[in-house]
Order: sequence, then structure tokens, then C-alpha cells
Amino acid sequence: MSAAAPAFVEAPPRNDLLGWLTTTDHKRIGILYLMTSLGYFGVAGLLSLAIRTQLARPNNTFVTPHEYAQLFTLHGTAMIFLFVAPFALGLANFLIPLQIGAADMAFPRLNATSYWMFLFGGLVIFLGAATNEGAAASGWSAYPPLSEIKISTGLGQDLWIVGVFLVSVATILTSINFVTTVFIYRAPGMTMWRIPIFTWEMVATSLLVFMAFPSLAATLLLLFVDRHLGGHAFDPAYGGSPVLWQHLFWFFGHPEVYVMILPYFGVISEIIPVFSRKPIFGYTGLVLAAFAIAGLSMGVWAHHMFTTGFVNNPFFSFVSFLIAVPTGVKFFNWIATMWRGSISFETPMLFAIGFLLNFLIGGITGVMISSPPIDYQAHDSYFVVAHFHYVLGGGSLFAIFAALFFWWPKMFGRKLDESLGRWCFALLFVGFNVTFLPMHAMGILGMPRRVDSYAASGPLPALNLIATCGSYVMLAGVLLFVYNAVVTARAGRPVSNDPWGANSLEWWTSSPPPEHNFDSLPPIRSERPVYDAR
Amino acid sequence: MLADSWPANATVQSSVMASTWFAFAAAAAGVAFVVLALVLYPLVRWRRRPGDAMPEPFRNNYALEIGWTAVPLLLVAGLFTYTFRAEARVDGLARHPDVVVAVSGYRWGWTFAYRGGPTIDGPSYPPAVFGERAAAPELVLPLGETTRIELSARDVNHGFWVPDFLFKRDAIAGQTTSFDLDPSKLGTFAGKCSSFCGLDHTRMLFSVRVVSPRAFIAWERGRT
Repeated sequence: MSAAAPAFVEAPPRNDLLGWLTTTDHKRIGILYLMTSLGYFGVAGLLSLAIRTQLARPNNTFVTPHEYAQLFTLHGTAMIFLFVAPFALGLANFLIPLQIGAADMAFPRLNATSYWMFLFGGLVIFLGAATNEGAAASGWSAYPPLSEIKISTGLGQDLWIVGVFLVSVATILTSINFVTTVFIYRAPGMTMWRIPIFTWEMVATSLLVFMAFPSLAATLLLLFVDRHLGGHAFDPAYGGSPVLWQHLFWFFGHPEVYVMILPYFGVISEIIPVFSRKPIFGYTGLVLAAFAIAGLSMGVWAHHMFTTGFVNNPFFSFVSFLIAVPTGVKFFNWIATMWRGSISFETPMLFAIGFLLNFLIGGITGVMISSPPIDYQAHDSYFVVAHFHYVLGGGSLFAIFAALFFWWPKMFGRKLDESLGRWCFALLFVGFNVTFLPMHAMGILGMPRRVDSYAASGPLPALNLIATCGSYVMLAGVLLFVYNAVVTARAGRPVSNDPWGANSLEWWTSSPPPEHNFDSLPPIRSERPVYDAR
Repeated sequence: MLADSWPANATVQSSVMASTWFAFAAAAAGVAFVVLALVLYPLVRWRRRPGDAMPEPFRNNYALEIGWTAVPLLLVAGLFTYTFRAEARVDGLARHPDVVVAVSGYRWGWTFAYRGGPTIDGPSYPPAVFGERAAAPELVLPLGETTRIELSARDVNHGFWVPDFLFKRDAIAGQTTSFDLDPSKLGTFAGKCSSFCGLDHTRMLFSVRVVSPRAFIAWERGRT
């Protein structure tokens, strides 16, 4: 099935700086997205180490209260808006055209626009740190009246609004690109029911972005109007409503959680079958579960508001509980995929197993706090901090490392070192659990989130010190990954098209793929065309 | 050490919440144990050995898939029913509360205004003497009687949290929300602000002292 001879000779892609700055190639944009989001991850990670250092002992003076507020605001903002979500966009940018047998995205220049808006949006947020009154300091959820100009007088809050706005528009544009590409540019034979699960999850994610992110963008604009153009949408002194902000923000904010986890469900669904040497179990069920989660997640936003006394708690509690069902379906599908397989434990699989174990804990505590009588203690406490770090750190972050180890050879033509990879996994898995497991107890014992100190008596000092030690173990794991990447770039051996014995189309072409992606395509008769051709 | 510091569960409402915590923790432990076993078993049992043949590529089992959708559905329906009943008991308001206190949060302290009684003020900002911090205000409640709290905030959002009562409620600027506390244990309990409100959020503390109804009347007279 080799392609007909091209009518013109393609100019070889420029490999210099200008080539990367002007690229519209989805693979390069994907890699730029990935590397930029990893850079923001490094910064946000260092911020979290500063937080943990401040909390290593009670009444510590490592940072001032105002610096502390900036630390956790930027940590949360960067991890959510600049790392976990955009990493998935980068991965999907690289993978979607390859997985469906296309030559590029539907709108390559729009794609480049998205990337540059994302990069500069992030820089604008951090630029706040260079202003007189420092960066935004009202938390990543920026609740008014705290974020109104009367209280947060600094330019940092404005830069935060503008930066997050740019990132949210970039996310919407990218999602338009994904959906159009998947619906229109699939190769012959690649029916919708044959596209890989990761691509399916990105379709669900993109639809969720369409519904959730416009609400974020509009809400940010409203806050800006309040601050500078005489608006009073959220200012109670003039009849505005702080509760309205919470509704609008979480109408985006909870779907956003699934924007940050559905892509990684896709990653896990790609990796487990390969290292179990079996097809994914219950393909249809997995896809339907993704859409069930996406649909239900539009109706749970007010579970962030159980303690306000202004929402219908039973309704939002019930819908939140329901999300456990499709999530459980996915879990059982992954287990059934491993069942009676032939399982090997390369680094991507180790991280996938780490994902399963951590996400199990995060999912279960999620069901617990869906119950308002439990949330009355857990809300705004370290129990909730533990819960969402188990979902986004133990879940998404572990899937991110699984994805890096799994697709690195396809992106760069070299496999990351296996034994360094195993150590990286061990340090991150132990470090993660030592950091975040004690936080469940801290929350039940009465430690609120976003505090810069705690009672010097009782068990909190010991628990906090343990958590801080764990965070430094995680740092060692991340540094080992960086070292691994450097060693691999210098001394890694080139790999074949398909180093893992994988199934989907990206493993058909060379590693790294040529600019036009495919010289030929195998016949596509199932969701495992590369396996069928072997 | 952990057991000594565990929340005291000191109101009638908190005993409902404590039961909910225990019921959910038990269900959570059960589910976690079963799923953990299901994840770990295949990793050990079907780990790859040299000379393994390609495993059988089964893809579907509709009965199984319907089963693992239906069983969790029943489980969450049960959990929701439990929650619904518990929440009605926690959030229910008495028709005639014995004591009514208007609680107001501000940056960074609390005011407790007893209806027909004294008003307790927290520290003022900026402090009269630089660097000096006034004592955290104290909310005094009678044992075994119903106190209605009418909660609001003056500047930004705050959160009224007494961990020993297993309960918090957001104090939203410009709006008032009500809940009842029926203390069931004597003692002094720590209270804190749960919703981030700026620089001294960490230090926006108060305490709750539960006394006998007789001592409460004496205290109220002494303060008025």
C-alpha cells in the first residue's frame, strides 16, 4: 500500500531554532507543548518544595505569609493550567494524527497559535512575581471578594487573570483542532470504532472543554470588569454575589478535573494491553464510560460548595456518587485486560500499575467526600488536599511518566534507560505516598488547607515532617528522570519502529516519524492494525 | 498520639457525621481490599515467563460488564440513601432554638453577638500595639441545648470550622446562613477559619467552650 510518488519534492524540515519557532508540524508542536509543560511542572514542583519546607515544622519562618500565599497560588495554577492539562494536549498533538493515520492536524497554523498562547499565558502568570506587590495570592480558585481590587490591589492578580484567560482560549482552540482532525482526517478503514482508546478519550476531553472552558473565560472577564471597569458582579457591597463566582468557576472547575484525568485514562488504556500482550478488554465499554464520565461531570460542580449552605446538596451528592460507576467500569476493564495475560514490567507498565494503586485511593476518598456529612469535616482541609493529589499527582502524574517512558522512543528515536527508569518509579512511588498519605490524617485532625503553620502540640508536627521528607524523595525521582533524559540523548541506542511490540498506528512508522508521518499504511481491520499486520 | 488528638465528636450532630465517616470508611476499606487484590493477583499469577505463548485474546464478556456496572450502582445507591438521611439530621433546624448567636468573620477575627445578650469581639486590625495580638475570641455554648448560629462575613469569605464538631460552614460575604449546634460534651474546643482569606488566615482562630446551662446563664449575666 505504498503511496503514489509525490508530485513535488518536500523541502526537508529546518532543524535550527527558526525551524522550531515557525513550525506547524503537529509532532513538533506536540513536543514543544510537552517540554514547555514539563518546564512549568519543574517550577511548580519547586514551589511545592518551598511550601513543604515552610511546613516542615510549626511556626517556621522560611517564607512570610504573603510569600506563602503566592507560593500555593502559583503552585496550584501552574500544576493545573500549565502542566497536567497542557501535557495531555501536547501528547495528543503528537499522537492523534499518528494514531488515526493522518498527515497532520486539521488546522496546523491554529495549532501553532494555541501553543504560543499557552506558553505566553503561563509566562504572564509568573510575571506577576516581578511586580511590586508580587504574584497573585488568592489561591488558584481566586474567590472574590478576596480577589477583588479592594483587597488584592496588586497587578499580580490582573496578570493572573490575563494569563489564565490566554491558556483557556488556547485550550478551546486546540480542542476544536482535535475534534475536527479525528472526525475528518482518519485514514481509510479507520472507522470511529477502531480509533485507539487514547484518541477516544481526547474526543471526550475536547467536548468537555467546549462546555466548560467558555465559562472560565467569561468568569475571568467578569472579574476583570469588576476590578477595573466598575463592575460589581461579585462584590456584595453593591449587590454582587460571591456565590455566583463559585457557581461559574466550578461549572468549569469540575469538568476541568476530568479534562486532567480522561486523557490519562487513555494513556493507561494504551499501555496495559501492550505489556499484557492482549487486546484492551471491553473497548466499547471503555468508550461509553468516558462519555458517561464527561456527561455526569457537567452536573457535579456544586459539590465544591456543600459547605456554603446555598446549594441543593443531595442532588450534587447523588450525581457525584454516580461518577464512581463509569470510573469503576474502566478500572475493571484494565484488570480484565491483564487477566490471563502475559505481563512484563518495563518502566511504562510500572508507572501504569502505580497509577492504578494511587488512583484507587484517590477515587475512594472521592466517593467519601461526595457525602456532605463527611465533606463538612473534609472540605477545605488537608483531607481534600490528599484526595486531589492522589487523583492528579498519584493518578495523572504517574500516567504522565508512563507516557513519557512509553512514547519517548517514538518521539526521539531512543529508549530511556530501563534501570534508571525503575529507580525513578520507585523514588516517585514511595515519595508520593510518604508525602500525601499522612495528609488524610492531618485533615481529619483539623488542619485547614492554605495555612502557613499549625499547632505545635499534638501529632501535626510529626505528620508534617514526614510529608516534607516524602516531597524531597519525589524531587530525587524527578531529578533522576532529567538525568535519564540527558544520558539517553547522549548515549541512547536508536530503536526500531515498534520497540514495545505495540498495537496502534503510531508504531507502524519510523521512530521518530518523518514530517509527513507515513510512507505507507497497513490495512486497518481492527483497533490493533499494527498487531494484525505482524 | 494520633488517637488522643482524634476529633472529640462533641455535638449531637457530630455523632451523625462520625457514624457516616465510619460507615463510609468501612465500605471504602472493603472496596479497596477487593480491587487491590484484583489488581495484584494477575500481576503475580500471569507475570511473563520465558517461553510464554501469546495469551488468548478475549475482548468482551457482556454478562461480566453488566455485572460490574450494576453492582457499583447498587453500592452507590446505598451510600446515597445513607447520606441523604444523615444530612437531613445534620442540617435540620430546630423550630425554637434556645440560644441564637450571630457569628461574623472578618480579616482576621470573629464577632459573636448573642441575641439579647453580650457581644464578644475578636482582635482588631491593625493592632493597637504593633506586633501584639489580642486573644482569640471565645464562643460559649450551653450543654444539651440548641444554639442557632447565624453566620456571615464582613469583608471576604471565611469558614467557621470546629474540628471537634466534625463540622464547618462557609461564611460568605454579604449573605447569612444558619445551622444548629447541640453540644453533647463539656470542654474547650479549637475553632479556625477554613476558607483562605489573606495574610492571617492561619491565625484567624477562636475557641468554643461548652458549659452547663446554669454556668451559661451566669456567664451571660456577667458579660451583659
